[in-house]
Amino acid sequence: MSDERREMFRQLAEYSQVGMTFVFSILVGFGIGWFLDNKVFHGKITPYLTFIFLGVGIVAGFRTLWELTRKISDGK
Amino acid sequence: MEHPILFISIILEKLGLPVPHTVTGSNLIEQLCTPYMTYTWLVMAFLIIIPKLTMSKLEMVPGSGQNFWEVMIGGLMDFFTENLGESGAKMLFPMMATFFFYIVLANMIGLIPGFMSPTSNLNITLGMTIIVWFTHHFLGFKHHGLHYYKHFMGPSKAMAPFMFVLEIISNLARLISLSMRLFGNIFAKEVLLAVLFMLAGAYFAPLPILCLGVLVSIIQAVVFVLLAVLYCAGAMEEAH
Repeated sequence: MSDERREMFRQLAEYSQVGMTFVFSILVGFGIGWFLDNKVFHGKITPYLTFIFLGVGIVAGFRTLWELTRKISDGK
Repeated sequence: MEHPILFISIILEKLGLPVPHTVTGSNLIEQLCTPYMTYTWLVMAFLIIIPKLTMSKLEMVPGSGQNFWEVMIGGLMDFFTENLGESGAKMLFPMMATFFFYIVLANMIGLIPGFMSPTSNLNITLGMTIIVWFTHHFLGFKHHGLHYYKHFMGPSKAMAPFMFVLEIISNLARLISLSMRLFGNIFAKEVLLAVLFMLAGAYFAPLPILCLGVLVSIIQAVVFVLLAVLYCAGAMEEAH
Protein backbone atom coordinates (compact mmCIF):
# COMPACT_ATOMS: atom_id res chain seq x y z
CA MET A 1 0.00 0.00 0.00
CA SER A 2 1.23 3.46 -0.85
CA ASP A 3 1.45 6.14 1.83
CA GLU A 4 -1.44 8.11 0.41
CA ARG A 5 -3.75 5.15 0.39
CA ARG A 6 -2.71 4.16 3.90
CA GLU A 7 -3.48 7.67 5.10
CA MET A 8 -6.83 7.49 3.33
CA PHE A 9 -7.72 4.24 5.10
CA ARG A 10 -6.70 5.67 8.46
CA GLN A 11 -8.88 8.72 7.99
CA LEU A 12 -11.71 6.57 6.69
CA ALA A 13 -11.56 4.45 9.84
CA GLU A 14 -11.44 7.41 12.19
CA TYR A 15 -14.13 9.50 10.59
CA SER A 16 -16.50 6.66 9.84
CA GLN A 17 -16.34 5.83 13.52
CA VAL A 18 -17.34 9.32 14.65
CA GLY A 19 -21.02 9.16 13.80
CA MET A 20 -21.47 5.71 15.25
CA THR A 21 -19.63 6.54 18.47
CA PHE A 22 -21.72 9.70 18.83
CA VAL A 23 -25.00 7.81 18.52
CA PHE A 24 -23.98 4.87 20.67
CA SER A 25 -22.62 7.14 23.43
CA ILE A 26 -26.10 8.58 23.77
CA LEU A 27 -27.67 5.13 23.70
CA VAL A 28 -25.22 3.72 26.25
CA GLY A 29 -25.81 6.68 28.55
CA PHE A 30 -29.55 6.24 28.28
CA GLY A 31 -29.19 2.48 28.79
CA ILE A 32 -27.13 2.90 31.97
CA GLY A 33 -29.67 5.37 33.34
CA TRP A 34 -32.59 3.13 32.47
CA PHE A 35 -30.87 0.12 34.03
CA LEU A 36 -30.15 1.99 37.26
CA ASP A 37 -33.69 3.31 37.42
CA ASN A 38 -35.59 0.14 36.70
CA LYS A 39 -33.33 -2.70 37.81
CA VAL A 40 -31.28 -1.26 40.67
CA PHE A 41 -33.75 1.18 42.26
CA HIS A 42 -36.89 -0.62 40.99
CA GLY A 43 -38.60 2.49 39.68
CA LYS A 44 -38.59 4.48 42.92
CA ILE A 45 -36.93 7.54 41.37
CA THR A 46 -37.88 6.62 37.85
CA PRO A 47 -37.36 9.36 35.33
CA TYR A 48 -34.52 11.23 37.01
CA LEU A 49 -31.49 8.93 36.62
CA THR A 50 -32.52 8.08 33.07
CA PHE A 51 -32.53 11.75 32.12
CA ILE A 52 -29.32 12.52 33.97
CA PHE A 53 -27.44 9.69 32.27
CA LEU A 54 -29.01 10.57 28.92
CA GLY A 55 -27.52 14.04 29.37
CA VAL A 56 -24.17 12.54 30.33
CA GLY A 57 -24.32 10.32 27.24
CA ILE A 58 -24.97 13.31 25.00
CA VAL A 59 -22.04 15.17 26.57
CA ALA A 60 -19.85 12.09 26.06
CA GLY A 61 -20.89 11.99 22.41
CA PHE A 62 -20.00 15.64 21.90
CA ARG A 63 -16.73 15.12 23.71
CA THR A 64 -15.61 12.50 21.20
CA LEU A 65 -16.39 15.01 18.43
CA TRP A 66 -14.45 17.70 20.25
CA GLU A 67 -11.47 15.38 20.79
CA LEU A 68 -11.44 14.63 17.08
CA THR A 69 -11.51 18.29 16.06
CA ARG A 70 -8.68 18.96 18.49
CA LYS A 71 -6.74 16.09 16.97
CA ILE A 72 -7.24 17.52 13.48
CA SER A 73 -6.31 21.05 14.52
CA ASP A 74 -3.13 19.70 16.13
CA GLY A 75 -2.32 18.25 12.73
CA LYS A 76 -1.76 14.70 13.97
CA MET B 1 -33.51 -13.28 6.76
CA GLU B 2 -33.49 -16.90 5.68
CA HIS B 3 -30.88 -17.59 3.07
CA PRO B 4 -32.12 -19.35 -0.04
CA ILE B 5 -29.55 -22.15 -0.18
CA LEU B 6 -26.76 -22.86 2.29
CA PHE B 7 -24.94 -25.96 1.21
CA ILE B 8 -23.35 -26.80 4.58
CA SER B 9 -26.77 -26.65 6.23
CA ILE B 10 -28.15 -28.96 3.56
CA ILE B 11 -25.31 -31.42 4.09
CA LEU B 12 -25.81 -31.32 7.86
CA GLU B 13 -29.54 -31.88 7.44
CA LYS B 14 -28.85 -34.86 5.21
CA LEU B 15 -26.59 -36.21 7.96
CA GLY B 16 -29.52 -35.96 10.36
CA LEU B 17 -28.22 -33.09 12.46
CA PRO B 18 -30.74 -30.49 13.61
CA VAL B 19 -30.19 -27.22 11.73
CA PRO B 20 -32.23 -24.43 13.32
CA HIS B 21 -34.30 -22.19 11.09
CA THR B 22 -34.10 -19.28 13.50
CA VAL B 23 -31.03 -17.13 14.12
CA THR B 24 -29.84 -19.21 17.08
CA GLY B 25 -30.77 -22.71 18.14
CA SER B 26 -32.39 -23.73 21.40
CA ASN B 27 -29.92 -26.36 22.64
CA LEU B 28 -26.18 -26.88 22.32
CA ILE B 29 -26.15 -29.14 19.28
CA GLU B 30 -28.52 -26.82 17.43
CA GLN B 31 -26.40 -23.83 18.33
CA LEU B 32 -23.34 -25.59 16.96
CA CYS B 33 -25.18 -26.27 13.70
CA THR B 34 -26.36 -22.70 13.06
CA PRO B 35 -25.14 -21.44 9.68
CA TYR B 36 -22.90 -18.76 11.08
CA MET B 37 -21.08 -21.32 13.23
CA THR B 38 -20.62 -23.84 10.44
CA TYR B 39 -19.42 -21.16 8.03
CA THR B 40 -17.04 -19.84 10.64
CA TRP B 41 -15.53 -23.30 10.83
CA LEU B 42 -15.32 -23.39 7.05
CA VAL B 43 -13.39 -20.10 7.07
CA MET B 44 -11.16 -21.39 9.88
CA ALA B 45 -10.47 -24.63 8.01
CA PHE B 46 -9.67 -22.66 4.88
CA LEU B 47 -7.31 -20.37 6.77
CA ILE B 48 -5.54 -23.33 8.35
CA ILE B 49 -5.31 -25.58 5.30
CA ILE B 50 -4.47 -23.11 2.50
CA PRO B 51 -1.40 -21.56 4.18
CA LYS B 52 -0.24 -25.08 5.06
CA LEU B 53 -0.50 -26.07 1.40
CA THR B 54 1.10 -22.93 -0.03
CA MET B 55 3.81 -22.43 2.57
CA SER B 56 4.69 -25.98 3.62
CA LYS B 57 8.28 -25.46 2.53
CA LEU B 58 9.71 -21.98 2.38
CA GLU B 59 12.06 -21.26 -0.48
CA MET B 60 14.62 -18.57 -1.15
CA VAL B 61 12.98 -17.76 -4.47
CA PRO B 62 9.30 -17.74 -3.58
CA GLY B 63 6.65 -19.30 -5.79
CA SER B 64 3.32 -17.65 -6.37
CA GLY B 65 1.75 -19.01 -3.16
CA GLN B 66 4.56 -17.98 -0.86
CA ASN B 67 4.85 -14.66 -2.67
CA PHE B 68 1.23 -13.81 -1.94
CA TRP B 69 1.59 -14.47 1.77
CA GLU B 70 4.89 -12.58 1.94
CA VAL B 71 3.25 -9.51 0.41
CA MET B 72 0.26 -9.73 2.72
CA ILE B 73 2.24 -10.35 5.91
CA GLY B 74 4.85 -7.74 4.98
CA GLY B 75 2.22 -5.12 4.25
CA LEU B 76 0.37 -5.80 7.49
CA MET B 77 3.59 -5.75 9.48
CA ASP B 78 4.56 -2.34 8.04
CA PHE B 79 1.11 -1.08 8.78
CA PHE B 80 1.22 -2.19 12.43
CA THR B 81 4.78 -0.95 12.93
CA GLU B 82 3.71 2.51 11.83
CA ASN B 83 1.00 2.70 14.48
CA LEU B 84 2.34 0.60 17.35
CA GLY B 85 6.11 0.76 17.07
CA GLU B 86 8.43 -2.18 16.50
CA SER B 87 7.86 -4.14 19.71
CA GLY B 88 4.14 -3.47 19.93
CA ALA B 89 3.64 -4.57 16.36
CA LYS B 90 5.51 -7.82 16.99
CA MET B 91 3.47 -8.47 20.13
CA LEU B 92 0.06 -7.78 18.56
CA PHE B 93 0.78 -9.09 15.07
CA PRO B 94 -0.59 -12.64 15.52
CA MET B 95 -3.92 -11.45 16.88
CA MET B 96 -4.48 -8.53 14.52
CA ALA B 97 -3.37 -10.39 11.40
CA THR B 98 -5.67 -13.27 12.33
CA PHE B 99 -8.54 -10.83 12.70
CA PHE B 100 -7.72 -9.28 9.33
CA PHE B 101 -7.56 -12.53 7.39
CA TYR B 102 -10.57 -13.95 9.16
CA ILE B 103 -12.72 -10.87 8.55
CA VAL B 104 -11.69 -10.48 4.92
CA LEU B 105 -12.44 -14.10 4.16
CA ALA B 106 -15.62 -14.16 6.22
CA ASN B 107 -16.90 -11.06 4.42
CA MET B 108 -15.92 -12.26 0.97
CA ILE B 109 -17.34 -15.76 1.33
CA GLY B 110 -20.86 -14.34 1.41
CA LEU B 111 -20.50 -13.15 -2.19
CA ILE B 112 -20.51 -16.73 -3.46
CA PRO B 113 -23.97 -18.29 -3.86
CA GLY B 114 -24.51 -21.08 -1.35
CA PHE B 115 -22.33 -19.43 1.27
CA MET B 116 -23.06 -16.84 3.91
CA SER B 117 -20.88 -14.36 5.75
CA PRO B 118 -20.39 -15.38 9.39
CA THR B 119 -19.78 -11.69 10.11
CA SER B 120 -23.38 -10.91 9.17
CA ASN B 121 -24.29 -12.23 12.63
CA LEU B 122 -23.87 -9.94 15.61
CA ASN B 123 -22.58 -12.79 17.81
CA ILE B 124 -19.42 -13.13 15.76
CA THR B 125 -18.61 -9.42 15.47
CA LEU B 126 -19.46 -8.75 19.12
CA GLY B 127 -17.25 -11.66 20.14
CA MET B 128 -14.32 -10.22 18.21
CA THR B 129 -14.97 -6.74 19.55
CA ILE B 130 -15.03 -7.97 23.14
CA ILE B 131 -11.66 -9.61 22.59
CA VAL B 132 -10.26 -6.34 21.21
CA TRP B 133 -11.82 -4.32 24.02
CA PHE B 134 -10.41 -6.46 26.81
CA THR B 135 -7.05 -6.68 25.07
CA HIS B 136 -6.61 -2.93 24.82
CA HIS B 137 -7.52 -2.39 28.46
CA PHE B 138 -5.25 -5.25 29.48
CA LEU B 139 -2.41 -3.68 27.50
CA GLY B 140 -3.12 -0.36 29.19
CA PHE B 141 -2.85 -1.92 32.64
CA LYS B 142 0.22 -3.88 31.60
CA HIS B 143 2.06 -0.79 30.35
CA HIS B 144 1.03 1.74 32.98
CA GLY B 145 0.16 -0.41 35.95
CA LEU B 146 -2.53 1.15 38.09
CA HIS B 147 -1.66 4.59 36.69
CA TYR B 148 -3.73 3.59 33.69
CA TYR B 149 -6.68 5.27 35.41
CA LYS B 150 -5.15 8.62 34.43
CA HIS B 151 -6.25 7.90 30.87
CA PHE B 152 -9.82 8.26 32.06
CA MET B 153 -9.39 11.41 34.10
CA GLY B 154 -8.91 14.09 31.48
CA PRO B 155 -6.48 17.01 31.69
CA SER B 156 -7.79 18.95 34.70
CA LYS B 157 -8.15 17.68 38.27
CA ALA B 158 -11.41 19.49 39.04
CA MET B 159 -13.27 17.84 36.17
CA ALA B 160 -11.83 14.37 36.85
CA PRO B 161 -14.87 12.54 38.31
CA PHE B 162 -17.13 13.87 35.59
CA MET B 163 -14.61 12.99 32.89
CA PHE B 164 -14.35 9.50 34.34
CA VAL B 165 -18.06 8.88 33.74
CA LEU B 166 -17.81 10.33 30.23
CA GLU B 167 -14.82 8.15 29.40
CA ILE B 168 -16.56 5.02 30.66
CA ILE B 169 -19.57 5.78 28.47
CA SER B 170 -17.54 6.52 25.37
CA ASN B 171 -15.50 3.37 26.01
CA LEU B 172 -18.65 1.26 26.15
CA ALA B 173 -19.90 3.05 23.04
CA ARG B 174 -16.69 1.95 21.32
CA LEU B 175 -17.57 -1.65 22.11
CA ILE B 176 -20.97 -1.32 20.47
CA SER B 177 -20.04 0.87 17.52
CA LEU B 178 -17.12 -1.30 16.44
CA SER B 179 -19.21 -4.47 16.42
CA MET B 180 -22.34 -2.83 15.00
CA ARG B 181 -20.54 -1.25 12.07
CA LEU B 182 -19.02 -4.49 10.83
CA PHE B 183 -22.25 -6.38 11.46
CA GLY B 184 -24.43 -3.71 9.86
CA ASN B 185 -22.38 -3.36 6.70
CA ILE B 186 -22.07 -7.05 6.04
CA PHE B 187 -25.67 -7.83 7.00
CA ALA B 188 -26.88 -5.08 4.65
CA LYS B 189 -24.78 -6.53 1.86
CA GLU B 190 -26.16 -10.02 2.48
CA VAL B 191 -29.79 -8.90 2.62
CA LEU B 192 -29.45 -6.68 -0.42
CA LEU B 193 -27.89 -9.49 -2.42
CA ALA B 194 -30.57 -11.96 -1.37
CA VAL B 195 -33.40 -9.56 -2.21
CA LEU B 196 -31.97 -8.54 -5.58
CA PHE B 197 -31.30 -12.15 -6.41
CA MET B 198 -34.90 -13.09 -5.69
CA LEU B 199 -36.35 -10.09 -7.53
CA ALA B 200 -34.29 -10.01 -10.71
CA GLY B 201 -31.55 -12.61 -10.43
CA ALA B 202 -32.02 -13.65 -14.05
CA TYR B 203 -31.15 -10.13 -15.27
CA PHE B 204 -27.88 -9.88 -13.32
CA ALA B 205 -29.36 -7.29 -10.97
CA PRO B 206 -27.07 -8.27 -8.05
CA LEU B 207 -23.96 -7.71 -10.17
CA PRO B 208 -23.26 -4.07 -9.18
CA ILE B 209 -23.87 -4.95 -5.52
CA LEU B 210 -21.45 -7.86 -5.86
CA CYS B 211 -18.77 -5.41 -7.02
CA LEU B 212 -19.57 -3.07 -4.14
CA GLY B 213 -19.58 -6.11 -1.83
CA VAL B 214 -15.94 -6.81 -2.63
CA LEU B 215 -15.08 -3.20 -1.81
CA VAL B 216 -17.12 -3.19 1.42
CA SER B 217 -15.62 -6.49 2.54
CA ILE B 218 -12.05 -5.23 2.23
CA ILE B 219 -12.75 -1.77 3.64
CA GLN B 220 -14.62 -3.09 6.66
CA ALA B 221 -11.85 -5.58 7.46
CA VAL B 222 -9.19 -2.88 7.18
CA VAL B 223 -11.23 -0.46 9.27
CA PHE B 224 -11.90 -3.02 12.00
CA VAL B 225 -8.25 -3.98 12.32
CA LEU B 226 -7.14 -0.36 12.06
CA LEU B 227 -9.44 0.77 14.84
CA ALA B 228 -8.37 -2.16 17.01
CA VAL B 229 -4.75 -1.14 16.45
CA LEU B 230 -5.51 2.52 17.18
CA TYR B 231 -7.28 1.58 20.43
CA CYS B 232 -4.32 -0.52 21.51
CA ALA B 233 -1.91 2.27 20.58
CA GLY B 234 -4.05 4.75 22.51
CA ALA B 235 -4.04 2.53 25.59
CA MET B 236 -0.27 2.13 25.48
CA GLU B 237 0.70 5.79 24.95
CA GLU B 238 1.16 8.23 27.82
CA ALA B 239 -1.89 9.89 29.36
CA HIS B 240 -2.50 13.50 28.35
